[in-house]
Formats: sequence, structure tokens, C-alpha cells
Amino acid sequence: MTETRLLNLDDVAFAYDGEVALDHVTMHIDPGQAVALIGPNGSGKSTMLKGVLGVIPLVDGEMTVFRPKKGRGQSGRIGYLPQDDEIDADFPITLRQVVTMGRYRRLGWFRFPSTDDRQAVADALEVTGLTARANQRFGTLSGGQQQRGLLARALATKPSLLLLDEPFNALDQPNRDALIATLNDLKSRGVGILLTTHDLDLAREVCDSVLLVNGTQIAFGPREEVLTLSNLQQAFRDVQVEVDEHTVVLPGHEH
Amino acid sequence: MNLIDILSQAFSLPFMWRAAIVLGTLALAAGLIGVFVNLRGLEFMSDGLTHAVFPGVAAGFVFAGQGGVVVGAILAAALATVVLTLLSRRRVTSDAAIAIILTSMFSVGVIIVSRSHDVTASLEQLLFGHLFTVTVTEVITTALVCLLALALVLLTLRGQVFTSFDERGAAASGYSTLGLTLVLNIAIACVVVAASIAVGNLLVLAVLIVPGAISRMWSRGLGGLFAGALIFALAAAALGLLGSFTVSVGADVAIPGGAAIAVVFVAGYMLSLLFRAVVPDKIRSVDA
Repeated sequence: MTETRLLNLDDVAFAYDGEVALDHVTMHIDPGQAVALIGPNGSGKSTMLKGVLGVIPLVDGEMTVFRPKKGRGQSGRIGYLPQDDEIDADFPITLRQVVTMGRYRRLGWFRFPSTDDRQAVADALEVTGLTARANQRFGTLSGGQQQRGLLARALATKPSLLLLDEPFNALDQPNRDALIATLNDLKSRGVGILLTTHDLDLAREVCDSVLLVNGTQIAFGPREEVLTLSNLQQAFRDVQVEVDEHTVVLPGHEH
Repeated sequence: MNLIDILSQAFSLPFMWRAAIVLGTLALAAGLIGVFVNLRGLEFMSDGLTHAVFPGVAAGFVFAGQGGVVVGAILAAALATVVLTLLSRRRVTSDAAIAIILTSMFSVGVIIVSRSHDVTASLEQLLFGHLFTVTVTEVITTALVCLLALALVLLTLRGQVFTSFDERGAAASGYSTLGLTLVLNIAIACVVVAASIAVGNLLVLAVLIVPGAISRMWSRGLGGLFAGALIFALAAAALGLLGSFTVSVGADVAIPGGAAIAVVFVAGYMLSLLFRAVVPDKIRSVDA
């Protein structure tokens, strides 16, 4: 394992509510690398993200998550973009206050935001194209803007590893393109990315590697090596998959 | 009788001072903590807590007299808080858990009170409070309990805000959401205990829930939300206290302080609903 590796999992199993939800995961993320986490519904994609975040327990194997070293406190954080539908749209809070939450852990319990903190928030709003909306109530923003707002919150942490749960959901074409551009820019600056998605085409535009799961790891590696018909068949039984604009109904669909 | 007369007459009486101190600290605590009750939808849990506190209040009263009320309430609240927090985590449908605790604890309370010699008088005091007859010891204890509640939430404010907005995001960024929820529930329990003495066990919810609910209707951001709830809670408490004093003294009709205050809180909520229906969207939500 290299010194700079952001995330390294060796035969890991994560449990959810006492039951193993995903096992035998062996993968890694290096700086500037983006990994698409692909699998059908209920295949353990969200479990994987929560496991990496440390919200649910690791029950087997070994996981190393990059931690900031002393004197390098500005990087090494994990940024996390939850699914939009988990947010209460009626919550009285401005967009800027939401994005500032990304700085809370650095601020601790009492310190007031410094110039640095405010700059990080302003930068995150700028990158996501939301500067003009900063003082609007979060709930009054459109679905796509809310999604970008939550991305801005993740970016405000200045993460070296970014976890995104279905980031392309609820986005229209311009917002998709903007998100892809943002993610590619982050990659070029050395940020590691792990994102879940249903859309193989979108995964292709951002991710060089793919982790294919269905309750257990089916394959991990470079995109072309992983997205083979036999692997996909194993992951998606009974479902349609879109590959290169062709809809493939995988064998096993017929009963 | 003008306002100055009322104020000078009212505050020449020691019992009004005691009532004002109890209500003032209660309004601050309920205003702040009520915001989180609203944000996290904990109204029903708070209701469960008020019922669970009742047998503690009753047992304290029966076994140790008036002085035992606060101690009994605190013990019952602490126990109920831990049980309710853990139950809601265990995914027993939390409404069902609360409903069971609510009814069983309340009936235990009634049974305990029925062992007391002067059942009706004590029941009334426990259910409807005794704002104008609080003792100096009770003033000190309720103020301390309110300050404890305020301190718990103020010291964890950022984590509470984050957890209320997006619990998974908060956990992801390293907050212990179970710990934060427990702290919040303890603070709610403190407010319930203090309010049980001042405005009575049955009227606690008005004080705890209304300020946060009103402020949420009108504010766009967090600053307005907290400021609005605190200002409303203080203003409504003052209005209720002076109102019941004025009517009691001026018109010679004795009005229980706790009920008068609850009425002012609820009337404020109605007015707010009405205004919200009338005032166009653009004018609302002025401050962040």
C-alpha cells in the first residue's frame, strides 16, 4: 500500500442492523482517482459509503482511511453528499448556513467562522454556481440547486476524499454537465472520489475505476475490465442495463 | 389602570417576583429547546415525557411533600428520557413505544396521588401548576433546571443544528448523533420538569412547542428562527403573567397563572397562523 493512498479495503464486510449487508470488498482509491460504485437497489451501495464514513460497523477485514497528518490539517477530510431526499425541505436555514455546516467540525463547538472558513464557503458556492443564491432559504431552491448546495457543503470541508450517494439523481442536463465538470476538476486537483450511480454512461464520464457489488463484491478494477457482460449479469439479475445507449435485457430476466 | 400602575403594583408583591423569575428562565429555555423539538418533530415524544414525569412528581409529593416534587420529577424524567431515546433508536415504532409509556406512567401517577390525603388539591396543583405560590426553594430549583437545559443545548448547538437538518450527514462528519439526541432529550426533560411546576403538567406542551412552531413559520434562516422563538416565548410569558394578575386583581376574578399563560401562547399561535395566511410570501422571511 502506497503512502498516499486515500482509502484501502482488504476483504472488508460491513453490517447493517446486525446483519452483514456487504462483504468481501477489496478495493482502493488513490489521489485523483474516481471509483463508480455500481449495483442494483439493495446491493449494499449505501452501506459501503456509510461503512467508509464509519457510521456503520466494519465486521471483518481491514480498512485504512486516509487521516490528516500533523501539520497538514487542511486536507484529509472526507466530504459526503447524501441523497437529496433525506433532507427536510421545510427547514428554516439559508443556503450559506447549510454550506457552512461543512466547516462545523473544523470550527469545533464554539469558535466563530474565521476569514478562512468564510472563504472556503464562498469558494464552494462559486464552484457550484450558487453564489447568487447564498442567502435564500434552502427549501426554496430547486431540486438540482439543493443537490448542488449539498455538494458545496461537502466541498467546503476541503476534502481529500469525496463520497457521493447518487449525485446525478434529480439533475437536469445542464446541472449534470456542471457536476461532471466539477468532479473532473476535483480529480485533477488530487481529490479521490467514490460515487454510487445507476447510470453507467455517467459513471464513464467521471470514473476510471468501477466497483461492482451485489451484496458481495463482484469485481473491482479499471472500468473496461469490470463492466463485462458476465460481471453485469452476475450483479444485475432480472434487470435492464443501459450499455452504450443500448438497452440490454440480461439473461435471467426471462422466467 | 395603566401599564406602569400594573407593573409597580404587581412587582411590589414578592410572589410576583418569584413567578416572574420562574417564568423568565422557563421562557428562555423553552424558546431555545422548543426550536429543536419543532425541527426534529419531537412533539409527541415531549408529550410522552410530560406524562412520564407525572408519576415522579406525584410520588415526590406524596413521600416528601412539596419539596419532593422537583426531585421526583427529575428522577422520573431522567429514567424516561433514557428509555425513550434508546427505544426510538431500536426502531420499535417510536410512536407505539411512547404511547405505551405515556399511558402506563400516567396511570401509575394517578394511583400514587390517590394515596395522598388531600387528593383533589394536590392533583390540581400537579396538573395545573402553582405559579403564584412557588416557594423560594422551588424558584431556585426550577431556575437551575432551566439553566441546565439551556447550557446543554448551547454547548452542543452546532451539532444539534447539523443533526436536526441531516442526521446522516452529521454522523458522516463525525458527530455522535445518539449522544446529541440524548443531550437534547435530557434538555427537553429539564424544561418539562421546570414547566410542570410553573404552568402545570398538562400545560407544559404549550410553552415548549408554540414558540418554535411560530418562529419556523416566519424565519428564513437559523438566526431569525432562534431569535423569534426566544422573543415570542418571553413576550407571551410576560403577557400571560401580567394579564392574569390584572384580571385577578382588577376584576377580582382569580385566574390560574399557568392556564392564562398557556392561553396566551396558543392565542399567539392562532394569530400567527392567521397572519401567515394573509401576508404574501414576499414580505415574509425578512431576516436570516
